[in-house]
Amino acid sequence: MTAAEIAEKVGGTVAVAADGAQATSVYVGDLLSDVMGHAGEDCVLVTIQNHLNTIAVCTLVGCTVLVICHSRPIPPDMAEGAAREGVAVVVTPLSQYAVALALKELPPSTH
Amino acid sequence: MKFDLHIHSCLSPCAALEMSPAEIVRRACAAGMGGIALTDHQSARNTPAIAECARRAGLACLYGLEVCTAEEVHTLALFDTTEQALAMTEWVYAAMPKRVNDPETFGDQPVVTWDDDIVELEWRILAMGCRRTIPEVAAKCHELGGLYLAAHIDRTAFSVTSQLGGIPADVPFDAVELSRTADEAVWRPRAAGYAVTRSSDAHNLDDVARVWTEADLDAFTVAALKDAFRRQATTLSPKLTKF
Repeated sequence: MTAAEIAEKVGGTVAVAADGAQATSVYVGDLLSDVMGHAGEDCVLVTIQNHLNTIAVCTLVGCTVLVICHSRPIPPDMAEGAAREGVAVVVTPLSQYAVALALKELPPSTH
Repeated sequence: MKFDLHIHSCLSPCAALEMSPAEIVRRACAAGMGGIALTDHQSARNTPAIAECARRAGLACLYGLEVCTAEEVHTLALFDTTEQALAMTEWVYAAMPKRVNDPETFGDQPVVTWDDDIVELEWRILAMGCRRTIPEVAAKCHELGGLYLAAHIDRTAFSVTSQLGGIPADVPFDAVELSRTADEAVWRPRAAGYAVTRSSDAHNLDDVARVWTEADLDAFTVAALKDAFRRQATTLSPKLTKF
């Protein structure tokens, strides 16, 4: 599923676009150490962590689509990092659980 | 005495490479600080370098690290000696992920000498949390003779507020820190019962000592600060309007 398709499903907007960014599974997590330990490659990461470290963790686990919940703003350094690393960022007003429901056709991410 | 208890050097992956111990000390002296503390993420490996710079400049210095706990809360552990700070570092390192830092992803982490030579690049990912919880880190810090502070409690990431909803009552923080933009009138009541500090959390040279804390201290030591904190006898510089 592409970032644009994910944005549409979660009623969000693509804050940072990235060529070829897509996901085949979903991981939901707000503790980055947990994400690092359990999220698998090519997942969409659903989180409230709207800062640059999240982009670095996406890069580490091989995730190219990030959904930021509750319309949290994307700081400039995060947007720059995402663009540089090829991570698409979608911002949605929905909660993590509501996003998970909206993306239910994708399977859970496995590490 | 004015002091800035939260300064990063180039060892922190998110800090600018210009943050050499010598330059930090120069800026702190120029800003009229009576004391500073070096607090890199998860590591005190640049404290021996800044100790030498501070000694040469006649600036009082504490040696510490900003411990990112299992709860992903940033906390400051501050010590009188580099030996204590390095012992704390070893204890934190033992609970860090074994993954190797990719400087392209997180940033460079140079360990340097007092005169700016690079000794080596730290291989651990200092941007990540450790497996020690806040109560465990507090206990270890105090066992080693340090001061333990909750960092930037007003921030929306990596703070007791963002991760735990507030200051945990069962943790013996010696003080809690406000960031450079926090409104004291708003945050003092939320930190009722705790000594409050404001420090720069500088990641680049222009931010060193841009904000500070002031207290009546005989000496810039853990014991003197602990006493001032116990009396909640600190005053803060004005906040900045922009982070």
